[in-house]
Amino acid sequence: MMEQALFILINVVFNVSIWLILSLSLNIEVGFANISQFGRLAAALVGSLAVGGIIGRVAALLAGQPIDERFVEDNAYVITAVNSYLSQHPLISVLLLVLALVTAVLLGALIGVAMILPAVRLSEAYLGITLLSIAEVLRTFLYNYDPIIGGTRGVSVPAFLQFLNDYSTPITLALMVLMAITSFAVAEAISRSPLGRAMRAIRDSEVAAEVYGRDVMKIKIYTVMIGSAMAALAGALYTIFTGSSYANDYSRFTWTFLPWAYIMLGGVGNNVGVSLAVIVMSILRSFIQIYKHELASYLLNIDPSWLEYIIIGLIIILITLFRPQGMIPEKPVFTLPRGRIEEIRKRVLEEKESF
Amino acid sequence: MSMVILLSAITYASILAIGCASITLLYTSTRVFNFAHASMVSWGFYLTFIFYNLFGGSPYIYMVPASIVVGLFGVITYLLVLRKLIRSKASEITLMMVTLGVDFVFFGFLNILIDYFWYNYRWSIKTVNIVPRDPLLGAVSGVPITAVNVVAPLSAIAMLMALHIFLSRTSLGMAMRASIENPVLAAITGINVDRIYVLAWFIGGFLAGLSGSLLTMYTQGYSAIGFDYSVLYFAGSIVGGLYSILGGLLGGVLVGFSERLLTYYLSFYIPGIYAFRFAIPLAMLIATLIIYPKGLAGLVERK
Repeated sequence: MMEQALFILINVVFNVSIWLILSLSLNIEVGFANISQFGRLAAALVGSLAVGGIIGRVAALLAGQPIDERFVEDNAYVITAVNSYLSQHPLISVLLLVLALVTAVLLGALIGVAMILPAVRLSEAYLGITLLSIAEVLRTFLYNYDPIIGGTRGVSVPAFLQFLNDYSTPITLALMVLMAITSFAVAEAISRSPLGRAMRAIRDSEVAAEVYGRDVMKIKIYTVMIGSAMAALAGALYTIFTGSSYANDYSRFTWTFLPWAYIMLGGVGNNVGVSLAVIVMSILRSFIQIYKHELASYLLNIDPSWLEYIIIGLIIILITLFRPQGMIPEKPVFTLPRGRIEEIRKRVLEEKESF
Repeated sequence: MSMVILLSAITYASILAIGCASITLLYTSTRVFNFAHASMVSWGFYLTFIFYNLFGGSPYIYMVPASIVVGLFGVITYLLVLRKLIRSKASEITLMMVTLGVDFVFFGFLNILIDYFWYNYRWSIKTVNIVPRDPLLGAVSGVPITAVNVVAPLSAIAMLMALHIFLSRTSLGMAMRASIENPVLAAITGINVDRIYVLAWFIGGFLAGLSGSLLTMYTQGYSAIGFDYSVLYFAGSIVGGLYSILGGLLGGVLVGFSERLLTYYLSFYIPGIYAFRFAIPLAMLIATLIIYPKGLAGLVERK
């Protein structure tokens, strides 16, 4: 019973934190700047690649293991050797873990820019389909091209926190929660910053933003860069927790369409609403996944994962039809607390009087 | 060059072209980029198989009934979901997202249907492969020609002709063109634009279903076949330019051909390229958007 509860808790925390980061990253692009990002999975996949393909090799190099094709061929053997090396060198393990996350974020930003550059002048449906297609090309490529992350076989990822023994799972989960909270703080900070206001101005009227001297293209590129960096973090954390980097894990449904459904449910442009939707829906998803077989016996042997599709689909339809603003509608964002603004105003007035 | 490859490419290109015409028609008429296309193709694919398994005979008999059912799916989607949003002038992204929701619902129900036949009748339905049962029509210089090699191109041509005659000769077709050009003006002249949109969604669904139905005889597949192929359909319709049905058909043909033939030719120089064949149409899509965003339809219209 205790074990079962723990298992559910781990599953829920894992699902919530990964999809929270992912949905917030999508919210920055879709909610703030109205960029129809249907290629979310690309950045997450690159985050996974940074951990499995790059940092995995760095760790192998440090452990005196091969990093050429033998890294992929004898992956299980190499990673076992790397793990035994890492468990004796806690400091290197922690450094590698930090390095992995940093690499993922940087690579994510890079792929974001690479994706948006050819498409930045397109709008709405065209932009969405182009980004979706670029992401699919990337996934198909990595799934079939062995030398980077093992193609159809995937590669294992070093267990960075193995030196913690029994505590490695809770610490990894804590790291994920920490990252999710950080992502929320970043998304909120962007929302309140001048950049965030410029994004919203572009969303509401591109022409007006341009008239007021904003470089629309540049801001769009920045937006996708930030969003993709954040999504790459989600991909990297997923890879670290599951312990393997495998291209087909990053499917269009879970890594692009689910976050879309979540932000629509929560309220496009509202970080709090999006977070609430992610928490509710991820808990629901976790329970469907865990109690699949028990549920199936009540449902005339229908696999509940199909019901998951129908539920998500109906949520998207009903929200769009009857509550397009989502659970918590977007509110005007105040850049500074009211008191601060009053204080500044008073000071300005005083300065005026003293002249 | 290998006749087998060419024949397969023609068949494949025809099947894709029919699906691309569906996406283009729905986009030009109602501004909806139909994500539910994926599941509509899957439904066409599976309905053909289910009808064939239930009633026997040749799978080709069930092409039309299966497509009609999928066409009705399109009508339901329009009436229940899209009509309200189109009237309230929802943005393109909203319309796209809502069809994604519709896609999930269709996909879920399709899989439930599949599970039903699998649990209760033990059909081998999780993956469908009736390609070997496709009748052999004959052989030209040693190359076997199966029925689908003839039926698919003929269907594509028939659909092209039918759409052309419908849109240019019948008053209903002209009303549809008018509603596509300018819905407000069409409504003023007494055309019931709403009814025209219902018809457009029926034809769109029909074409998507037909495309899926033809896939049954062309390749093996499972419930996500439409989902897997949807990127190719999207690529074809964008290469075609998204605003003329002829352009959509041409885009589909081009994407289908290039995928099969280019892969074949490149495989002499780059072994193992077959696995990457999906990348070719997508590279074409990106190239089209960068070089000539109006797509093939723009080229056709210039003449």
